[in-house]
Amino acid sequence: MRILLAEDEPQLNRVVKVALESVGYQVDTVFDGEQAISAAKSNPYDVIILDIMMPVLDGIEVLKQIRANGDKTYVMMLTAKAEIDDRVIGLESGADDYLTKPFSLKELIARLRSRERRDAEYQVTEMDYSDLHLNTDQQELVAHNSIRLASKEVDLLSYLILNSEKAISNQEILDHVWKDDPLADSELVWIYISYLRQKMTSIGSKVKIIGEKNGEFVLTK
Amino acid sequence: MSIYGKYEPTLERILNELLTRLENLNSDYQARNGQNLFEHLNGRIKTNASMVEKCQRKNLPVNVNSALRINRDSIGIRIVCNFIDDIYTCIDLLETMPDITVVTKKDYITNAKKNGYRSYHMILDMTVPEVDVDGNQPGHYFVEIQLRTIAMDTWASLEHEMKYKHDIKNPELISQELKRVADELASCDISLQTIRQLIREEN
Repeated sequence: MRILLAEDEPQLNRVVKVALESVGYQVDTVFDGEQAISAAKSNPYDVIILDIMMPVLDGIEVLKQIRANGDKTYVMMLTAKAEIDDRVIGLESGADDYLTKPFSLKELIARLRSRERRDAEYQVTEMDYSDLHLNTDQQELVAHNSIRLASKEVDLLSYLILNSEKAISNQEILDHVWKDDPLADSELVWIYISYLRQKMTSIGSKVKIIGEKNGEFVLTK
Repeated sequence: MSIYGKYEPTLERILNELLTRLENLNSDYQARNGQNLFEHLNGRIKTNASMVEKCQRKNLPVNVNSALRINRDSIGIRIVCNFIDDIYTCIDLLETMPDITVVTKKDYITNAKKNGYRSYHMILDMTVPEVDVDGNQPGHYFVEIQLRTIAMDTWASLEHEMKYKHDIKNPELISQELKRVADELASCDISLQTIRQLIREEN
């Protein structure tokens, strides 16, 4: 899993990053709210951890803006106060979980693992992006016409829709779409990107996947 | 007496000429590219009975003008291709023929019908030495061309069978499944074409 950690206290930021990396997560760190928004916009994360008390923009404001941009990434809030109001505002603003400082790293890791397990089981069945409508259960893609996709095409397109407008690397695609296939490589990614491009064109969609073989890909209008 | 009257031999001649021309086009293409332009070809003159039936259904007088001017499918040719790209290559080649003008084009591949039907339809106006129904010489005759892939053709034949079978128990479910399969076949057609393009880019 790739995690964004937004925490302004340098020492805590460092400790959490090291702890999460030691259990195999990929962690990007930022130190204020503005950096958090810009990182969330440009990278695909599985979890975003936001401190509430941060300079420039506080965690609640960051969360609201992330959600306003249509980003549905799982968000965990870190709050220094044990006050119920703070947690309620966080959850009401679109957070998925919270931890009260001081927290144990063990508990943080346990929660992330629980999240990861659930991720594998929980699937959205209807997705929309611009003129595209994807039913992942029926494997049907609809724009002006409709077409049925193969299951890996559905996985790839869902991942691109969830992270639309972001540059996604080959490796990120392989880690999410072909995570159980050690033989999958950038050649395979390229073939599936090519399938999706032609199938989107064939149903009259204006949505594009920008990018070259072996490079990064962006799903965009 | 046939509804086509004295023009029937001309219809036969035009059909045969176009079929021969298309076969030659295919062999030339095969010689140059090592691949077929199309997989197979069918042609027919609409039977007297079905042309008469069509005129009656459309409340037209049963005469040669209705058969050759108002209805434009007395001569029909179906071109069945291996790949979607080849359909568009065929269309380009037809359009360059000097004695042929394209009257209408309907692209049901890009704009599939609601039931899932995919095919490319054209009405051609062909100039021929013989006299036509309006007394012009050289004369003008309409020809209907349908172009599709093998997958689209297979689908259409099954859909056609269903349309004329009135004792199907669950027509909604069958229509829904036919539509799903049409979209799956379209997906396969595009995957095949994508693979062909990727192979060609590598060479």
